[in-house]
Amino acid sequence: MRVLIFFLVFFTVFLRSGHTLHAQQGVVYSDSITAQELEAVIVSATRTQRQMSSLPMPTQFIPQKEIEAINAIRLTDLLDEQTGLITVSDFGGGQGVQMQGLDSQYTLIMIDGVPLIGRSAGTLDLSRVTVGNIKQIEIVRGASSSLYGNEALGGVINIITENPRPGRRSRIDYRAGSLNTHDLRAQYTDKNSVDQWSIFLNRLSSDGYDLVEGDDLRTVEPYVNYTAQVKYEGELNPNTEMKISGRYYHQNQDYTASSSLSGASDINEFNTTLHLSRAPLENWTQEFEFYTTRYKASEFLNNPDGSAFSQSDFDQWFSRPELRLTLATDSSGTWIGGLGLTYEQLKRTDFFGTPEFYAPYGYVQYENQVTKKLNIVAGARYDLHSAYASQFSPKLAARYVLNDKISLKSSLGYGFKTPDFRQLYFDFTNTTAGYTVLGYNAVAVRLPELQAAGNILSVTVPLENFDQPLRPERSLALNLGLDIKFSSRAKWSVNLFRNDIKDLIDTRVIAQKTNGQNVFSYYNVNRVFTQGLETDFTARINPNLKFSAGYQFLIAKDKDAQEAFDAGTVYGRLNPSSPVFRLNSNDYLGLVNRSKHTANAKVFFEWPEWKIDGAFRATYRSAFGLFDTNGNSYLDRYDDLVYPFAIFDFSLNKALGKKFRLGAGIDNLLNYTDPGRLTNLPGRLIYATLTFKTK
Amino acid sequence: MKKQVLLTLSIIGIMSFTACSKEDSNPPENNQNESILVSNLHAPQDTDYTQNPPVASGAFVKFDFETGAITNSETDWDIAFRGTTLLVNGGSSSGIVDAPERSGNAGAYLVDGIFDEITTINTGAFIQDSPMGLAIPTGSGNGWYTYDPTLLAIYPIPGKVIVLRTADNKFAKIEILSYYKDAPAVINEQIALNDLRYYTFNYVYQDDESANEF
Repeated sequence: MRVLIFFLVFFTVFLRSGHTLHAQQGVVYSDSITAQELEAVIVSATRTQRQMSSLPMPTQFIPQKEIEAINAIRLTDLLDEQTGLITVSDFGGGQGVQMQGLDSQYTLIMIDGVPLIGRSAGTLDLSRVTVGNIKQIEIVRGASSSLYGNEALGGVINIITENPRPGRRSRIDYRAGSLNTHDLRAQYTDKNSVDQWSIFLNRLSSDGYDLVEGDDLRTVEPYVNYTAQVKYEGELNPNTEMKISGRYYHQNQDYTASSSLSGASDINEFNTTLHLSRAPLENWTQEFEFYTTRYKASEFLNNPDGSAFSQSDFDQWFSRPELRLTLATDSSGTWIGGLGLTYEQLKRTDFFGTPEFYAPYGYVQYENQVTKKLNIVAGARYDLHSAYASQFSPKLAARYVLNDKISLKSSLGYGFKTPDFRQLYFDFTNTTAGYTVLGYNAVAVRLPELQAAGNILSVTVPLENFDQPLRPERSLALNLGLDIKFSSRAKWSVNLFRNDIKDLIDTRVIAQKTNGQNVFSYYNVNRVFTQGLETDFTARINPNLKFSAGYQFLIAKDKDAQEAFDAGTVYGRLNPSSPVFRLNSNDYLGLVNRSKHTANAKVFFEWPEWKIDGAFRATYRSAFGLFDTNGNSYLDRYDDLVYPFAIFDFSLNKALGKKFRLGAGIDNLLNYTDPGRLTNLPGRLIYATLTFKTK
Repeated sequence: MKKQVLLTLSIIGIMSFTACSKEDSNPPENNQNESILVSNLHAPQDTDYTQNPPVASGAFVKFDFETGAITNSETDWDIAFRGTTLLVNGGSSSGIVDAPERSGNAGAYLVDGIFDEITTINTGAFIQDSPMGLAIPTGSGNGWYTYDPTLLAIYPIPGKVIVLRTADNKFAKIEILSYYKDAPAVINEQIALNDLRYYTFNYVYQDDESANEF
């Protein structure tokens, strides 16, 4: 209800003032790859259209041309090949992305500037996102909570969907490949002088795969999913421009838990955005955005006789009205200010009630070209929250042009992530092992109930410890970068980063149960840091050949764990029959699933006379550990690690006339797999594509 | 005939061996407290999943350090095993189903370090089982093991030593080496599922009540 009132107030304010809408900060689009590279314009870093090369924070950009050259179908296909981004599988089956060594739950994922939801186990599954209608993907590294608030602790990935080009156009893409995978897309766009609209449909189906033979489970079960997106843009009245978009996603997947238990899982997601913009005064732009999204997932298991064994549901709502004002002047910079309210609700099986969050917020950002050589971006955001302490997140970034070849960049900012619903309201008892997990806010009520029922043997952490609310996880991020433009054809960038995170939320035992198992809850404990270097080199060897290479060096450690190693209180043993020995400081490897070295190299080529284009890509990861295997609960050099590996991909496309395009490719050429550990690598995949477009 | 020869040879062999060790046994004092390895002590457990929460049950396997063997005695035992749960023969019932009666004065505490380097006995540190908890706590990272939820495997924590006061006030230090049959070096999914609840552990027994060292 409160949301509705907020929305109405916003809306009224918005429609009251009336002036003619001046030209939006439109950007002229060019098809040519060189133009895209030179004038790459992104919106995510400052919420204004900015030439990427002029931004003081580390940013990256994947153009449509590149998406098409490698025949990518899902977001995960693309992100894995970018420097410092690593696709990691979550135990819930989702695939998230690690950025600057921070876990996937610390990167905000947006489509057209509004966040995606549905982190049922913490990770947002990026294989959910089709890249069929994407104009570009924008990546901003480093804490960005000063603009985006919650979750933008490690950075932001913003997926910008395509806008129609003049006239009526339609396009159909089909890709068939290994694992009986079929991806079909259809798109129709219409743009005239008054308005524009587009519709996009996608169907993806696959048999999945099984890496470990001989058990009853498949690594990835067969699935089919559908995406539909509709966008409209036009004039609401002569003063006001309106954009409406809606997206719907549905997936159905088999679900098998054992030889006798089988069922299915189902995901339904929709997003709708209403965006109004006007220019009440010269140099002013006023925007109103109302975004609502719902993510609903349910799964069930049945016994062999068809009776129900288990059923679980996850139903999350997220709504956000936001009002934004922009004042852009030539002489004294650009001011941006926003006010908004986030409303969230979750209904979930094994939950303590139906929690709701209200989080009003406001932010201001100022950017200016102070001198010819220096530009700065300064911003801050204040987030109130119905369940947590308020958060203040400032950020300061500056870029200094040393000469026409070299420029220096630096940014310093705060990021935060509020505890998610699960960490607060979980109320779950495992039916096979018998342990219980209670959300932080559920403890005060549920623990005494369990005690009254005679299930509790002893309490390790007294209830008084839950009086203070669980604190949001906070980070301070520093980025220092250097861009060198050797010529119009070759450029090199280096970025040093350090993220210091405190109050990381972890689980601990709070009580012992009479059945010998434990009751777990969440608490703020860890102090973690990630630091390293990212570097990218790009060279256009000739107009038809582009080469790029990237490398990341990363150290990601838990500070308390490092102190335990330094103090000599961690021990190891090679095998049960060998003696225990003391581990030293250098034996600590840091956080799980982090490779010290990751690298990529890509070659994009074109043969205009044959109308052929293609790409050859390689990615490399040095050794990393997925979990402790020698019992000391830390990742050390004596644990079983995943060996270093490289993945090679190749794709080739040929245009047939102006309307058709044929393609083929092999992903993971050398058929690298690691069955028990890397569940997101199905091995070599061969595919063919066919595209038809009217213009 | 053959059997007799074998028996004779064995007796001679054993005699010569004991004779030898007697000759050598004069100098080092700690020679009598050698570490002894126990392999594949099977400690099964039943779990009733029809109840919520599930209830573990089944007889505990009792161990007596004086004899260095498992025992059926109701009273002469020091430590008892069932699944990952360890009880001591001292204190009062913690409420666990099918737990044996505690008639002794056993207690235990956990200490971090290299087994051979742990020589002092801190007589003030012993804790007994009680309704408030077990002397050797259960749960991943709380007591003697960590649990890997991916592989569903139990790993003994290296450097975690259980110091025990026995039911009759003697002492023992124990280092659990493996929870799986024949103590495999690497635990895979098959082993984690099928070969669990077989303890391999090292212990040193100190039969001098007044000792404060092993």
